[in-house]
Amino acid sequence: MNKRYTWRTFGHELVMLVLAAGFCLPLYILISVALKPNDQLFTKPWEFPAQPDWGNFSEAWGERTDPTLTQSLLSSAIITISAVVILIVTGSLCSYVLARRPGRLSNLLYVLFLLGIIVPFQLCIVPLYVGFRTAGITGTYLSMIILWVGVFMPLTVFLYTGFVRQLPRDYEESARVDGAGIFRIFFRVVFPLLRPVTGTVAIMTGLFIWNDFFASLVFLGGTQNATIPVAIYSFVGEYLTKWNLVFAVVIIALAPLVIFFVLAQKQMIRGFAGGIRG
Amino acid sequence: MSAPPSKAVLRRRRKILVRHVPWVLAIPGIVLMLVLRFLPAVGSAGYAFTDWNGLTLSANSVGLDNFGRIFSRGGGLGALANTLILAGVLLVVANVGGLALALGLRGPLKTRNLLRAMFFIPFALSHLATGYIWQFIFSYKGPFNQILDGLGLDSLQKAWTADPQWALYTIALVICWQYTGLTMIIYLAGLEGIPEELDDAVAVDGASRWMKFRRVTLPLLAPALTVACTLTLIWGLGAFDQVIALTGGGPSGATETLATMVWKNTFVFGEYGYGAALALVLALIVACMALAQMFLLRRREDKL
Amino acid sequence: MATISLSSVGKVYPGGTRAVSDLNLDIEDGEFMVFVGPSGCGKTTALRMVAGLEDITEGTISIGDRVVNGVDPGKRDLAMVFQNYALYPHMSIFENIAFPLRARHMAKDEIRSRVERAAGLLGLTEYLRRKPRTLSGGQRQRVAMGRAIVREPQAFLMDEPLSNLDAKLRVQMRSEIANLQKELGITTVYVTHDQVEAMTMGRRIAVMRKGVLQQEGPPQNVYAHPANIFVAAFIGSPGMNFFEARVERCEASYQLHLRDQVLSLEPGVVRGRPSLEAFVGRCVGVGVRPENLALVDESSGSLRARVSRVEVLGAEALVYADIAAKAVVADEVIEAADSGEGDTRAPGSTGDEGEVTLIIRTDPSLEIDVGDRIPISVRQDRLHLFDIGTGMAIWT
Repeated sequence: MNKRYTWRTFGHELVMLVLAAGFCLPLYILISVALKPNDQLFTKPWEFPAQPDWGNFSEAWGERTDPTLTQSLLSSAIITISAVVILIVTGSLCSYVLARRPGRLSNLLYVLFLLGIIVPFQLCIVPLYVGFRTAGITGTYLSMIILWVGVFMPLTVFLYTGFVRQLPRDYEESARVDGAGIFRIFFRVVFPLLRPVTGTVAIMTGLFIWNDFFASLVFLGGTQNATIPVAIYSFVGEYLTKWNLVFAVVIIALAPLVIFFVLAQKQMIRGFAGGIRG
Repeated sequence: MSAPPSKAVLRRRRKILVRHVPWVLAIPGIVLMLVLRFLPAVGSAGYAFTDWNGLTLSANSVGLDNFGRIFSRGGGLGALANTLILAGVLLVVANVGGLALALGLRGPLKTRNLLRAMFFIPFALSHLATGYIWQFIFSYKGPFNQILDGLGLDSLQKAWTADPQWALYTIALVICWQYTGLTMIIYLAGLEGIPEELDDAVAVDGASRWMKFRRVTLPLLAPALTVACTLTLIWGLGAFDQVIALTGGGPSGATETLATMVWKNTFVFGEYGYGAALALVLALIVACMALAQMFLLRRREDKL
Repeated sequence: MATISLSSVGKVYPGGTRAVSDLNLDIEDGEFMVFVGPSGCGKTTALRMVAGLEDITEGTISIGDRVVNGVDPGKRDLAMVFQNYALYPHMSIFENIAFPLRARHMAKDEIRSRVERAAGLLGLTEYLRRKPRTLSGGQRQRVAMGRAIVREPQAFLMDEPLSNLDAKLRVQMRSEIANLQKELGITTVYVTHDQVEAMTMGRRIAVMRKGVLQQEGPPQNVYAHPANIFVAAFIGSPGMNFFEARVERCEASYQLHLRDQVLSLEPGVVRGRPSLEAFVGRCVGVGVRPENLALVDESSGSLRARVSRVEVLGAEALVYADIAAKAVVADEVIEAADSGEGDTRAPGSTGDEGEVTLIIRTDPSLEIDVGDRIPISVRQDRLHLFDIGTGMAIWT
């Protein structure tokens, strides 16, 4: 392939940039509206405010919502991080066994995990809700963490198993010959080698859990432990006409993720590549 | 370093090792999957044949009544149709668009990483939050209508998300906008897996751009195609957040999907039995379509 | 079929790295031309420029009488065989071979008959419906060949096509490819790092190093008359023996002074090289191939050496013997030796401090023990002398 940068490439790049700018237009509106004073919301919506009104952010942040935005961000973080950590540990161990002990049993289990990806989790919601109520843990972080571990276990195992199958056994064998026990082999040798796919699992599941609205609304709606999307939902319910405040809240909720994602997207591609080939 | 071990030694070692990966390690994962995924699914299927309201201790069996309600006019049929339309549009648009973007990002572009990030960001954002952004854009005095106004098309102006005819398609647009970045990433990963030598071979063999795409690139993207199509199908059928944020299912049920109906009937109206039946129908549709699609696409892949 | 000519061709990558400089070469119609050199010498880049897979940053390349600098690879009417074969994994063998014909919108019947003819020629007929991954390395190699010959192109370009095969198959495919090319009479440019492959296959070889053409010509010519110390060291296995010696005048002739021995040059050697005059009192590089050294009796030996190792290889034996001399440590020699295969010794390696190990190719029936001091004769009409400063051979 000719890898030279020609005028044609430049034109191509320009077209892509225009397209990408169009793609990000809603984000421009998000930011510009969040910085507008109340009386300018619908006059000239395309114009960036001449005098950005940063007050919207402090006003939104200071609204006496219940729970407060800070509390919701904290809830989201606790639930997301705990669920992702549990998924990574149990999922990688499980996949390691499935990939390294081929046979009828592990094939059957693998197919079950695949099916688990397909079964929509709306189907599980009613029984889980009943189960959590019986156990008296509705509305707690614990219930959400358990829920998410269940929802994403199949995807996690699917991604890990594909990766482990491609991993040469030499490292494990040499560790084995050196006299290491199974836990040492797994956590010192295998797990570090799984880093690319661990990244993908963490990013994908973390993203979904952080952003989820449906399950959080069902299980945490109206409680002190509501996550950030639920908080936005109730905030919008109260302030629907004040778009500038709503958007300020949205930006506060989105900012950490956008930064994380721009940093992590390369990792994401690599992990997907592994998953596709696996 | 000692000499590499012979094949026989390796095989013996492998046997030893295999015995040393105990099933115990897999048990937490397997149990969590079975208890949290399949047990509730089966339980849900049980509720689907009752009139349980979530409060009483026992539930009365009502046979297929719940399903009759779903497949009646004024019941779930509208939601079913909406769900299929959303999924169909998403499947086609997000995959064609994502593939086109991925192909467009090949070549020695200087801003490749920036472009990739820009196309991907919508997917990374909370669906609910982006739903609100679009609701504003499509509101009566919002930016979209202002553009129409500027183009002299003010007769077309309307409150898009409140218009029974258009509301569903605004939702479809938003969903496609969000997922195209993801399919793009999947196709980019697939493209990276095609060896460069094949590109060279195609160039020397003198194939046209179309022939190269149709006969070489596309067939080699089959695994990526399977993943991207399956994911978009599943997500399209399960659309919820964007619907709630944009229309809440309205106007008067015009944008209700199976997922929003599951939630409303169960947790707003307390009809657990009916909600479970809706969820079961949704699950069956997702499972059948995803499996059928995977089967069809896998067959293509097997030709590799 | 066509000639290919490269005129002042150069390649500089966007980063500023220079891969090829001022390459001038005319490849005749129907000729089998081999580009050979160690990795990074620019041979593959040169080939890819001919194919159109790399931009030509300097000079011109023409195929036939058409300058192809800006021409698309697909429009140059060339066929290329890649190192990893680049078979389309999702197509059957038939489809793989047919692909370049389909790209040219050839009629279906014509495609079928051509593919079958090519497959027959390569012994692939029974595999036509199989997928590439079900074939062995050698068969895949043949499919890649098939995709090239089915087109009857202006020229074949082959980029290390045998390097992924095992040794035995490589020898077999070597002659198959050479015979096929002879039969079809299509101009071929073949790239390899393996000098044995180059010697056995090429009608003409072009030795390259660091992007610069070192020497081109028929293999036997290059072997017998290397233009410089790099070519001398690169071609031949085991490699040429090198040591330094000081040139001194002795009556009408010259002598080469080693550390503790003297080699008198025969009149024939001196007569052809009047420029030796300029080297009197200075050191030159002396090169002699293992087969041009012989073990002889006490009386006729011109050098003496101590045996350090003997390798009996059946048909011949390699005797490693040390003499007191200074090793030639030019970069060229080191690079050439690094890339050589089967050469068991470091370049001009010293047995002990101040010693050089010579390899002598000899009759395996001779009884020689390690530690023996043996007399050696040098075939002086095959002696090579090099200017140590420039690395150039002294032929005049």
